[in-house]
Amino acid sequence: MSDRREDATENPESGSAPGAPASDGAPGTREREPVARARAGDWLERRALTVLGVVTAAVLLVVFYYPVLTVFADAVRVGGRFTTEVVAEVLTDPFYFGVLAPLLSGDFAELGDVAADTPLGLFGFTAFQALLSTVASVALGVPGAYVLSRYEFPGRRTIRSLTIVPFVLPSIMVAIGFYAFFGANGPVNDLLAALGFGRANLLLTLEAIIVAHAFYNAPLVARVTTAAWESVDARMVETARSLGANPRRAFRNVLAPQLLPAILTGALLTFVFTFMSFPIVLALGGFELATVEVWVYSLVQDLDYAEAATLAAFETVLSLVLTYAYLRYEARQAGGARAANPPARKRLVPDDWTPGAALERAGVLAYAVVVAVVFVGPLASMVVESLTGPQGFTLQYYRFLVERQVEGASFQTKPGVAVRNSLLFGVATLVVALPMGVTVAVLTTRGGRGRKLADTAAMAPLAVSGVVVGLGMLRGLVFGVELWGTRVQVSGPVAIVAAHAVAAYPFVVRNVAPLLAGVDRSMVESARALGATRARALLDVELPLVASGVAAGAAFAFAISVGEFDSTVILATGSSSYTMPVAVERYIGSQTLGPATAMGTVLLVVTSVAFVAVDRLGGRWET
Amino acid sequence: MKRRTFVKSGAAGALVGLAGCTGGGTGGQGTTANGGTTTGDATTTAETETAAAKTTRENLSGTLTVATYSSFVDAPSSSPGKWLKQTFEKRHPDVTVKFRTPENELNYYIQRAAQGVDLDADLYVGVNPDHLIRIDEKLGGKKLFEPTAQSLSNYGHVKDSLKFDPKHRAVPYDTGYISLVYNENQIKQAPTTFADLLKDRYQGKLIVQNAKTAVTGRAFLLWTVHTVGEDRYLDWWRKLANNGAKIMGSWDDAYTAYENGEAPMVVSYSTDQVYANRYNKDMSKHQVGFLNDQGYANPEGMAKFAGTDQSALAEAFMDFMLEKEAQKQIAQRNVQFPATDWAPLGEEFKKYAKEPPNPVTFTYDQLKGNVDDWVDSWAREIASK
Repeated sequence: MSDRREDATENPESGSAPGAPASDGAPGTREREPVARARAGDWLERRALTVLGVVTAAVLLVVFYYPVLTVFADAVRVGGRFTTEVVAEVLTDPFYFGVLAPLLSGDFAELGDVAADTPLGLFGFTAFQALLSTVASVALGVPGAYVLSRYEFPGRRTIRSLTIVPFVLPSIMVAIGFYAFFGANGPVNDLLAALGFGRANLLLTLEAIIVAHAFYNAPLVARVTTAAWESVDARMVETARSLGANPRRAFRNVLAPQLLPAILTGALLTFVFTFMSFPIVLALGGFELATVEVWVYSLVQDLDYAEAATLAAFETVLSLVLTYAYLRYEARQAGGARAANPPARKRLVPDDWTPGAALERAGVLAYAVVVAVVFVGPLASMVVESLTGPQGFTLQYYRFLVERQVEGASFQTKPGVAVRNSLLFGVATLVVALPMGVTVAVLTTRGGRGRKLADTAAMAPLAVSGVVVGLGMLRGLVFGVELWGTRVQVSGPVAIVAAHAVAAYPFVVRNVAPLLAGVDRSMVESARALGATRARALLDVELPLVASGVAAGAAFAFAISVGEFDSTVILATGSSSYTMPVAVERYIGSQTLGPATAMGTVLLVVTSVAFVAVDRLGGRWET
Repeated sequence: MKRRTFVKSGAAGALVGLAGCTGGGTGGQGTTANGGTTTGDATTTAETETAAAKTTRENLSGTLTVATYSSFVDAPSSSPGKWLKQTFEKRHPDVTVKFRTPENELNYYIQRAAQGVDLDADLYVGVNPDHLIRIDEKLGGKKLFEPTAQSLSNYGHVKDSLKFDPKHRAVPYDTGYISLVYNENQIKQAPTTFADLLKDRYQGKLIVQNAKTAVTGRAFLLWTVHTVGEDRYLDWWRKLANNGAKIMGSWDDAYTAYENGEAPMVVSYSTDQVYANRYNKDMSKHQVGFLNDQGYANPEGMAKFAGTDQSALAEAFMDFMLEKEAQKQIAQRNVQFPATDWAPLGEEFKKYAKEPPNPVTFTYDQLKGNVDDWVDSWAREIASK
């Protein structure tokens, strides 16, 4: 933390020398007031990054670090005294750590029994499924990025905007879609039966969890990778080719190094998310497939905080170590000076059907089929569900939404209010998270000792269990803190936006930082030498060069806000600040999914339109 | 319903309530006159006391904050909350009923109490025996609820078999029975005992809920402990899991899976057909089955928060919820059975809500000190890897 703040003050300082004399010389020639104003403006511009850095740190402290640390304290403070008992107990419990547990406790005699009974333990299994989920997401996401960034076809930009939609869907909607599409009586099984394979049990299996995780995370991988692919330097590839490299070699030595950081960013985020996944595991897996987070959730339900906090702390440590390792890697990759200069896009229907071109198009077609099965199928099934009652086609569930909007009591959830709140919070989150994320990206891409640690700390909102963040917000913000005799509480729309921004800005950082690191330093230095402040150089020189990353970050910020559930419900307690996913959840009635699926369809439509709009606006600035 | 709501005991409570009432002042002449007599004369006779209590009820005013779970007031189908609020407010024009439905339900208030934060609510609707045990174990000396049962005039109508709180804090207002729901097109011969469920015939046919995260799952687990036995239930569950039973996280998830045909049997409520009928569903897919002629009773209660300054109002609302008409409305709208012996249920409910021949349940004392162990051992047995 301190390290970053130090940098924030030192960076603009060092560069202010050329600009300073000009403003200092002004007083004699101008009138007092405008001068003062101009000075304030100058000061603000010179200190913009510092100010933003401090504000970002303050928001993080209040909305994230303080609440979460109070929960983690439960791991080592039981009944008012400090103890490492619970931590030791968890570490040496084969149920949690499998064969590691007897090794850690030094009880080697038990090793055989444990290896036979619970070799993986809860943590081992969780890591295993996260690894498989990550592989699946990368395998599904990277080809998507290739198609979106390398091909030109009608609707390409719209599809690129829509890739982010799965990200915002509440898990219960995804589960409903999966059940309808992959279920025992769904179209996939019907097809299998028609082809003579017989019906397969596709759900409540590890495979179902992995496919659902890929549903959520492959778009993330695709999105981040597309942004990188769109800002590669084609001239370098051309140079390599002109020097005699064949296409494969040019790809491996020139293009791949430019893409790998983005792909690994996607992979890292996917691993961390799927390691801490719990709603999907609850909805699509049997309890025998429980993950650590499922366990944390149930411990919190029973108010067993010590054990829950301990497990969550182990999860967090693991995620942070991975993040740190990745950031070290990312730093080593960066530094190659380049400007965004992507190669021209190919047409989907080639002018010239060479065998290579035909093979590639066949691959694209096959990929489109997979996308249709994994993404379009479940979403379409969910929409169909909202239009189908026991007697076939019906609009009764949409009628319910309209009636609820018109006649609902004040304590009931109205769809219109949910839509309005979602959009408002989404835009506000974007406005707050974008400067936060860009600030952190700038402050942490400039090398230096300890910088990676600070960067890791800034990434922590991704690495902490959602259950713990929720609990911390409840106890730290909603219940409030006693300060000088008055209870300071934070809730309502401002708190919700702050919480969303904290959850969203790491995405901005991870989309912007790798590109920013690749920007030619000499261009920034020239601007500074010509008198631009650090902030001015950032706005006028660097950001336009990394625009695709900023646009992707903005889309994610909006998406995170719209899709966020845990902190929204907690901070919206007793108010009308509920959002669309919250409404979906509340409309799940006993024995009827109709109203929930109808609300889910509204969510789908509203967010689709919003993403296209966000992207178009971002894109206008991009070009 | 006429206002025959007299406070039989707990005159102190009535006096406090009355004082609050006069202080708040509705300006009605009756209030002032009566209030004056009562507070002025410390040694009131039983008769004036009753009259005072009656006055209190008739002149109730202020805001009553009722905390509950969200589907009690905000279900898409029907929920009793709106009716209760409107009817109670009509009867007491100076009263406003406000609902609060925090996401963490009762845990929210247990956490508030544990952190020493004001509760900001007067009454909780939706307490079950598990909750009481959690409260007593986690809060230690701190009191979350106050005993009220004895001071309610309608408490005598509550079925004795459903009274689950030995300390008389929670007053039952409805109950559900956990049972099997099955599709008779696929289950020609329904299982009738717990032993049946382990047979090959039912291989992969049952969806149950996780006892750690779902109320119905926990009730089903407790039922197996109750009937299969404390020392044999884990063994039974291992066999059930080996027989392909699917254990899902929540009732919503499980029921979604059931409706989509993932398995032809699911653990749910014995009132399932009431919904099926309301939504014109195929009744053959919503058959209710009881194991060993039993159903596990899951009574829901209401309790007054300790330290509320709307004590009289809270008690009046609780008494109101036990009245004949309210009991009927709660049962039919919440699709649960009434907790009293006098609710005039409608035809739909009589026809489609099935009651088990032998309802079983654990008492608070039987659960206390045991339930955590039972559930934890079960969870570790299932989730080991």
